Amino acid sequence: MEKYWTRRDFLKKNAAAIATMGMAAPLSSLLQSCGGLTSNATADSVILLFMAGGMAHTETFDPKRYTPFTTGMQANTVLSTFKPVPTILDGIQFSEGLEKIGQIMDKGSLIRSYVAADLGHILHTRHQYHWHTCYEPPQSVTVPHIGSWISKELGPLKEVIPSFINIGQRFEVGEGEELKAFHSAGFLGSEHGPFLIPDPTKGLDSVRPPTGMTTKRFESRNQLYEKLIKESEMGEFGSGYQKESLKRSMEQAYRLLNSPEAKAFDISQEPKESYDTYNTGKFGLGCLMAKRLVNEGARFITVTSEYEPFMNWDTHDNGHTRIKEMKERIDAPITQLIKDLEESGKLESTIVIVASEFSRDMLTEGRPDLKVKDQVNVPDIITDMKNYGMHRHFTDGCSMLMFGGGIRAGNVFGKTADERPCKTIENPIKIASIHQTIYHALGIHPETNYEIEKRPFYTTPDGKGIAEQGLLKAQIKSV
Amino acid sequence: MISYICLAASNSLPVGSWMVQFAGRLHPLFVHFPVSLLFLAGVLKLFEKRIKGAEQIINFLIIIGSGSAIFAAGLGILLAWQDSYSGELLDYHRYSGVLLAVVSAGLVYVTLKKPDATKTKNLLLALASVGTIITGHWGAALTHGDTYLTEVLPWQNDQENSLPAGIAVGNPDEDDDVKLAIQVRTIFAHNCYKCHSETKQKGKLKLDEKEFIFAGGEGGEIIVPGNASESEIYRRITLPVNHKESMPSKGKSLAKPEIEIIKYWINKGAPWPNDMGKRSVFPKAELAPRNPPLPQGTHKNPIDLWVNDYFDKNNIAWKGKVNDRTFLRRTYFDIIGLPPSFEEIKVFERDTNPAKRKKVIDRLLSQNNEYAQHWITFWNDALRNDYTGTGYITKGRFNVNHWLYTSLQENKPYNQFVRELLNPTEESKGFISGIQWRGTVNASQRTEMQAAQNVGQVLLGLNLKCASCHDSFVSDWKLEDAYAFANIFAEESLEIARCEKPTGKYANTSLLWPSLGSIDSTSSKKERLRQLADGLVQPANGRMYRTIVNRIWAQLMGRGIIGTVDEMDNKPWSQDLLDWVAVNFVDNGYDLKKLLFLIMTSDIYQMEGNAYDDPAVVFKESYQFKGMLNRRLTAEQLSDAVSKVIYPVFNKSDYAYDPIVTAGYEPTGQFITRASLVENNAFLTALGRPNREVVTTSRPVESSLLQALEFTNGVKLNNTLEAGAERWKRKYTSSNKLINRTYQEALGRNPTKKEFTVTRKALGDKPTIGQIQDFFWAVIMLPEFQTIY
Repeated sequence: MEKYWTRRDFLKKNAAAIATMGMAAPLSSLLQSCGGLTSNATADSVILLFMAGGMAHTETFDPKRYTPFTTGMQANTVLSTFKPVPTILDGIQFSEGLEKIGQIMDKGSLIRSYVAADLGHILHTRHQYHWHTCYEPPQSVTVPHIGSWISKELGPLKEVIPSFINIGQRFEVGEGEELKAFHSAGFLGSEHGPFLIPDPTKGLDSVRPPTGMTTKRFESRNQLYEKLIKESEMGEFGSGYQKESLKRSMEQAYRLLNSPEAKAFDISQEPKESYDTYNTGKFGLGCLMAKRLVNEGARFITVTSEYEPFMNWDTHDNGHTRIKEMKERIDAPITQLIKDLEESGKLESTIVIVASEFSRDMLTEGRPDLKVKDQVNVPDIITDMKNYGMHRHFTDGCSMLMFGGGIRAGNVFGKTADERPCKTIENPIKIASIHQTIYHALGIHPETNYEIEKRPFYTTPDGKGIAEQGLLKAQIKSV
Repeated sequence: MISYICLAASNSLPVGSWMVQFAGRLHPLFVHFPVSLLFLAGVLKLFEKRIKGAEQIINFLIIIGSGSAIFAAGLGILLAWQDSYSGELLDYHRYSGVLLAVVSAGLVYVTLKKPDATKTKNLLLALASVGTIITGHWGAALTHGDTYLTEVLPWQNDQENSLPAGIAVGNPDEDDDVKLAIQVRTIFAHNCYKCHSETKQKGKLKLDEKEFIFAGGEGGEIIVPGNASESEIYRRITLPVNHKESMPSKGKSLAKPEIEIIKYWINKGAPWPNDMGKRSVFPKAELAPRNPPLPQGTHKNPIDLWVNDYFDKNNIAWKGKVNDRTFLRRTYFDIIGLPPSFEEIKVFERDTNPAKRKKVIDRLLSQNNEYAQHWITFWNDALRNDYTGTGYITKGRFNVNHWLYTSLQENKPYNQFVRELLNPTEESKGFISGIQWRGTVNASQRTEMQAAQNVGQVLLGLNLKCASCHDSFVSDWKLEDAYAFANIFAEESLEIARCEKPTGKYANTSLLWPSLGSIDSTSSKKERLRQLADGLVQPANGRMYRTIVNRIWAQLMGRGIIGTVDEMDNKPWSQDLLDWVAVNFVDNGYDLKKLLFLIMTSDIYQMEGNAYDDPAVVFKESYQFKGMLNRRLTAEQLSDAVSKVIYPVFNKSDYAYDPIVTAGYEPTGQFITRASLVENNAFLTALGRPNREVVTTSRPVESSLLQALEFTNGVKLNNTLEAGAERWKRKYTSSNKLINRTYQEALGRNPTKKEFTVTRKALGDKPTIGQIQDFFWAVIMLPEFQTIY
């Protein structure tokens, strides 16, 4: 049976300690969860493939009427700039360029009705913050990333592999500070923060001795350290907590760097054929690393197409051309990842999610009934190829994919209108439900929360959002 | 087997058909009456001989009763499936019901076909009668709660009126009612307000005010004081989760202890004292300053007199003072954030002046720039000021770098310091301006509310965060108080939003304590801010000065006099000491350096450090003060120590705020680009420097894997140590010298014989750069290096 804490029990037992918690959670190890785990988990790990920058649904997984480019075309007639192509599912089409993913849709769920929050004048990183933490920024405390929640509740699947690994995002980009703001474990404590691998080809650097240091040298350094610790005068001062905490984490780091599992970070060890299939660039190689890590027992991995203002999926111009390129980057590796996980048997216990902070449209900025300040100039008559594409930020209908780990297969959830504004008309689903669906599959209680500065902070705001039965194979039992 | 039948049945029927559902809901009707005939048949059987024609009546009852039992079982399965009942109770009801149906079928068969098998018939009839009671009981429990029957039994009454576990009520005095009602209010607020309060009134029921709670909703009163089992609210919250009338209908159901509390409260007569809102059950500190007379004693420093007084009362013994080396290291780190050099330690040890400890504290405090470069870390955290961060990109945030650096440099009196933060110039406006992201934000996070929260937390040791969304459940602060305070920072009065829903109401404009003066709501924002500053900095605001002296104490001693530095309503381990130091601080011109001097020249500051195994104990209110707690170096102290001892971690070009160019800082001697003045980076973050999106008032005390990885193979540290090794190799040709110098500079002492031997063996005669680098690494990873003890 699950352990249930009431606010009172909790306050009584922990009030003094918890009240001191600031954002840095100096005592995060003392936090005690209210909620606990449920016994009906269908997954134990997660791969989140994030299409950062706003992936237009009508150009990817939810194509509408195709209008080829002609000089002098009316902007308001254009819904999709690519042909639709069939998928393995009857009557379901994807946009041209996603044929491979189309052929694995019998293994997962296609969501066509994700509705992003209304946060006013669009800022990508605010929506990304919201997607990854489920809270709208700013908040009065630093709220944890979904990966940190999962790390905190479930811990590492294998001790030596960090439980939350983030692949592909550099922070030395525009809005880098805003990106940092949600790549954080917040009040859950830095132990649960992301292990950052900005470049998958250099992943191994993060888990091996410093460049230029041989294994032998690394070992003798550690031996010297252990001898000197024994002799150090702190022994006699016996600084209990700090000393033990430091020693323990140093030992853990040493174990990781010496472990055979660390090889999972080395994608160059992959057979050439497999490497080449994945190698569509940084994102593809990130997928390859994610596969290797899951096979070795990673808990939560996110691979991002990388957010950089006006780059990648952030198509403020040349949308058609750029999206063609983006699809080339994602089609093969995502498909191969699913196939490989299925082959290794890991797909059964791994949820793979493909998502973006919001969608795009040629005309609507924000939501059709709640438009916000335009950021992109779109001419009524298009004469230049650079204006041919979805350049405005659209929040009322976005596509997502989910595979494995108890997610329904061959399933289509939700629907958008076939005419502009192509907004969600069936089964709208919001971020809190998405998160709760993931938590449900992982067996994390929907009301999991911690008392921070005397207020309960839940995995989703006030514990809102209900796991979506339409995405889950197993019947949801009330808990 | 039974569930298999249900499953088979459910698979063959169209889910959601209203007819099926309707039929299912007939189940109670078919159960409640005719099945009881079976029981009656059993009773009749007992009196068979006295009643004429009983046999026929019994047979008739058996046939009707059994038939309906079988029919009811079928409908029951439909109901369970269609209305999604589930749980243990249902299983009991289901299994006993199906069993009863089987027995009934047997009974009918025997009655009709085997009139001679009297014994079998009697047995089956007995079984059916008993089965009726059992099944009926589980069914009732399902709809009325599992204590429906037992709770009215007289011997249950003791338990009825005993306190549920987990309820914090002490002696039976009148305060109990208040405490109890507040617990009930808290449960209502967190579970029911969403649908039953000011903003939404499902079923015309509101649970947020006394009169509404007792008025009930459209279905009538919901509470029968003194009788929980007759109270509608109790019935609703104890129904099975999936029951149509179960409450809360949305979201989580109440936890068992919560249900227990409500039951206890109703049975106790549902007390709801009228003045509940006015009387506090929460700890509440005095606002006014207090100057207790110093206790008698031989100590010279008043702090020691108070500590001695406390030690006497609690039977705690003074420990010995630390040696000169440990004292100097502690003092250096606490005032200027750097370790002393070995040379400085030697000179200090040789000094025979009995006042040398005071002298060195004085000397360090007079190093204005070094002092500023250390303490700016503490203030940047508290004022959530940083060189980079969210908001700057859209001009929604302003730094206070220059104002803060120069304020520390000139040791600005704290009252003036606060005045300039609250009623700011262009240079100091960053604190109350908050962080404005692009787009719309939650009402409780508008910049005016951020200002109210941050001023409350940082300057007043007050948590307004709860109250900025709804009336606080953990203090007496109300939503209106938070808005009235936030209005001071607003151009126009703010519309009150409760849990993010606008209420159409507006608060007045006021300070949190009327005794500190009033704010003229009709005046300009500039004028209101001036009134705010005047109101808060006056000496009568003892709370503000207790807050700052407690923070400084915590920085030096590892724990505040009140452990929770942001919650100044909690209990200090010595109220006298806290009050006295705060008054002394005001009397001495709000001088932060004098405060540091006072504390650091005390005997207690110079006593041996205390280790602890469990940080949870340290922050408990029951904590006993025994002296300074060992502390971890901050990210900045650690980085600067490496810079000073081994090789600079940062260069002048890394300055995010350059005090040489902008604040007249003229470095002398060994120059170090201090980590406090560079942008945050992966190295410092791993070591615990926060990203200052929100106020931070304490740094992590624990290490983490991510931090250890940064130590173990992080590029920044590795490169620094490598460059240092190259330099040291050139400087020291002999291993022996190098080993000794490293220990001397890093730890302020010579290596022990054993340490020397171990290292000497690892390094050999002619160590390589790599070997030296690894030795450095091993030394700075020592807890002895990373701890102030």
